[in-house]
Amino acid sequence: MVGLNTLSKFFRKTIGPRIEALGLLPQRYYLHRALDALEEDDIDEALRMVTLAGNNKKDARWRLVCQQVIFRCRVLASQHEKQLDRFKTEMEIFGKPSDLSDTYLRLQKAEERARDILRSYELSLFAQLNGRKSNSVTAE
Amino acid sequence: MDRKLSIPGGLTGALVGLAAELALEEITGMEIVNGLLAVIGAGFGLIRIDRRIYEATANLIKRVPVEPNSDYRDVLEQIDEMSLELPELRESFVKLVQAGIEAQKA
Repeated sequence: MVGLNTLSKFFRKTIGPRIEALGLLPQRYYLHRALDALEEDDIDEALRMVTLAGNNKKDARWRLVCQQVIFRCRVLASQHEKQLDRFKTEMEIFGKPSDLSDTYLRLQKAEERARDILRSYELSLFAQLNGRKSNSVTAE
Repeated sequence: MDRKLSIPGGLTGALVGLAAELALEEITGMEIVNGLLAVIGAGFGLIRIDRRIYEATANLIKRVPVEPNSDYRDVLEQIDEMSLELPELRESFVKLVQAGIEAQKA
């Protein structure tokens, strides 16, 4: 028991991420990790795992997981879009008081950025789904 | 062969197991049981990937935000819009809805 646990921890902390990044592990492993990331809304990690699992683009499981991540990207992007609309409406209704306008603008920019990042993730996944080469996307 | 179950024996075994686990944790500094459960969980996850994908699909629908004043048609419309050009996922959603309707009938 101790040996197995120690080995597993050792693997995860040392060579695990390197081997993972090579894409040599079974596809199911990467899909499993992608679903974990999707559950936590870690879209960046989910995209990475889907990309690593994507050797066979015709595989039904891969396609479904890829589409799940795209769907979640769209849902999250629409939430940011709604929030953006809300800020704009509030600024129109209540005017632009100087002390609050900076805060509103900062919030607007943050929402826009989040939405754009999600859209770029979506595009990247969509390109993979349709068998096109995609530019790698990383959140700054 | 006739076997008798012993409750005190079971409790003693559980206590000894717990003490052993705590002792190992103290000595090695590792969470033995949690580590083992994580490994077992990952193993099952690899084997039961189809089940996980199904659960994730159901979870996706559950996590679609619902406005307080919207009804089920708005939600369906929203799901429909979000799943454009995602044919396999749409099919899964339809199957889920059908399964739900059949479960209600039964």
